[in-house]
Amino acid sequence: MKAWLRFLPSIINKAIISDAIKIYEIDFNILRAYITPRGGKMLVEINGPQENESIQYMEEQGIQVTPIMRVVTKDLEKCMDCGACVSVCPVNAICIKEDWMVEIDNQNCIGCGFCINSCPTKSIDFME
Amino acid sequence: MKTIEEINQKITNGDAVVVTADEMTSIVSQKGAKKASEEIDVVTTGTFGAMCSSGAFLNFGHSDPPIKMSKTFLNGVEAYSGLAAVDAYLGATQPSQNPEIGLDYGGSHVIEDLIRGKEVELIAEAYGTDCYPLKMVETPITLDKINQATMFNPRNCYQNYAVATNSTPETLYTYMGTLLPNSGNVTYSSAGALSPLLNDPYFQTIGVGTRIFLCGTEGYIVSEGTQHSTEVERRNGIPVGSAGTLMLQGDMKKMDPDFVRGATMPKYGPTLYVGAGIPIPILNEDIATRTAISDEQIICKIIDYGIPRRSRPVITETNYKELKSGKIEINGIEVPTSPLSSYKRAKMVAEELKEWIENGEFLLTNPVKSLPSRGCTVNPLETNKPAVLVRDIESKSIIMTHSDDKINDVARKLVDNNINHLPVVDNNGQLKGIVTSWDIADAVARDKSKLVDVMTRKVIIAREDESVDIIARRIDKHNISGLPIVDKENRVKGMITAEDISRLIGGNLKNENGGDSI
Ligand code: SF4
Ligand code: SF4
Repeated sequence: MKAWLRFLPSIINKAIISDAIKIYEIDFNILRAYITPRGGKMLVEINGPQENESIQYMEEQGIQVTPIMRVVTKDLEKCMDCGACVSVCPVNAICIKEDWMVEIDNQNCIGCGFCINSCPTKSIDFME
Repeated sequence: MKTIEEINQKITNGDAVVVTADEMTSIVSQKGAKKASEEIDVVTTGTFGAMCSSGAFLNFGHSDPPIKMSKTFLNGVEAYSGLAAVDAYLGATQPSQNPEIGLDYGGSHVIEDLIRGKEVELIAEAYGTDCYPLKMVETPITLDKINQATMFNPRNCYQNYAVATNSTPETLYTYMGTLLPNSGNVTYSSAGALSPLLNDPYFQTIGVGTRIFLCGTEGYIVSEGTQHSTEVERRNGIPVGSAGTLMLQGDMKKMDPDFVRGATMPKYGPTLYVGAGIPIPILNEDIATRTAISDEQIICKIIDYGIPRRSRPVITETNYKELKSGKIEINGIEVPTSPLSSYKRAKMVAEELKEWIENGEFLLTNPVKSLPSRGCTVNPLETNKPAVLVRDIESKSIIMTHSDDKINDVARKLVDNNINHLPVVDNNGQLKGIVTSWDIADAVARDKSKLVDVMTRKVIIAREDESVDIIARRIDKHNISGLPIVDKENRVKGMITAEDISRLIGGNLKNENGGDSI
């Protein structure tokens, strides 16, 4: 699953995540990270049989975990299905369907934001 | 053989047979062109793509006291008003005057807002005359309150177009969309087999005065468009590059926002997405054959947009079947493709037009005059000031440093010569990197003694045979103050700085005062 992790500066020095990885044997993949002196947030992908337990652990240790279904959203009113975003996606998460609609597969999306910056109608944005 | 009058009679009676251009392709392949030409009366085409050469004539009406507008702004986008007193032409690609908005909002967005019925702020300035005393107007307008709003597009519906890729190591933002480095993607803009002028490639039925579908209402072909060209190489009867174009007009007050859209090509600028469709009367077997063209038969060339010159190199050829599959092969490597025009909406245009004709709401027209089908070429603009090349610049004695040099010596060189950056070369004089005074300070602070550890290896360079204007753009884009000139063997020949260029082309470079070092 994908999730946003938010943490305060007070816990930045703790090895919570590496502990979670070791204890619960999860695959942990960082897709985006914003770290500032006021804390930080990371978009991550967590996979493994004990992923729920690992999340519970992280929350106990002070990390705020917000699981997300979608990394980016596309405004269907604004999108004109031009396809300009399709070829800039590094993981082929955007495709043109049978009926020529342009669709983003959030399962594969790694949140790089390239599509957001290449859309002529600014139809795509990060989910907050 | 049929005539347009006969077809119109059928349309009025409600028994005309109308199909879209993609349906026609399979009908002809099943039944043959002869049978299809007898059975089918009209083929509808459609496209929905970025058409930069678009705009609108607006007449605002007279205020009291009256004004002779000499400068007009709509939501902060300037329209040309050097015609009469209250007329203006709003160009689709004109960006907002407001530097904070810049390219994100332009003429095309104003056009969409007006069509959506939104209020738009009009500001007009004037010098004041005896008959038009007012010098300033500031008022909201809406489409239904102004007298006329005529969309008038000097160049739409290109007959085929180049396909774009980018061989350089940096991402380019162009009117062909975002082009990833090292030919990482390919973009194309034509709707292929559904596109109007590819279905009547010799302009047998499409001409001056032809009634068409334009942005959800009826529009008309004014004439051939600007840059109309007929002498392009043809394959299967279809030009392999950009050829014929159309000048179009239509009443904005009747347009439908589903078929027109203001957009911005990222870091390039505003453009208008126009939905246009042309009905083609199937008068004979030859016309039927032409409308049966398939994506596979439409050949086009992949052009390297990494070379910012008038004639860009052709990389290879492809066709629309391959392009629409989502990936093509360039030099044995699979590359993803992006259409820039919406095929989904192009089909909606063709379907909508088909419905109008089937319902008897839209009759076909005989052209008043044919479009030129031969003898048109696009001439370049020959400037009387030929491009100045980098090699034409008088090079000062070159100051360089060697990759084995000590940090101390490099620091001295920078200070003695009062410069901020030095190219680093090897024994053959070939460029290895660049070092700035900041790099040296960094080296001292971190106690590094080797030049190779602190220099920047990825250097933005100028080649001797490049035009100085291209270097000016590069300096602007990377926000640097100067770059080394290298020859074909990558040997350093000198430095070119923002100051050199300002002196030469009198340009106003953003970072005349130095900017960031390289
Ligand atoms: S680039 Fe934007 S408008 Fe075009 S298909 Fe993608 S999301 Fe839709
Ligand atoms: S954010 Fe990146 S990975 Fe996700 S869909 Fe857009 S381009 Fe693809």
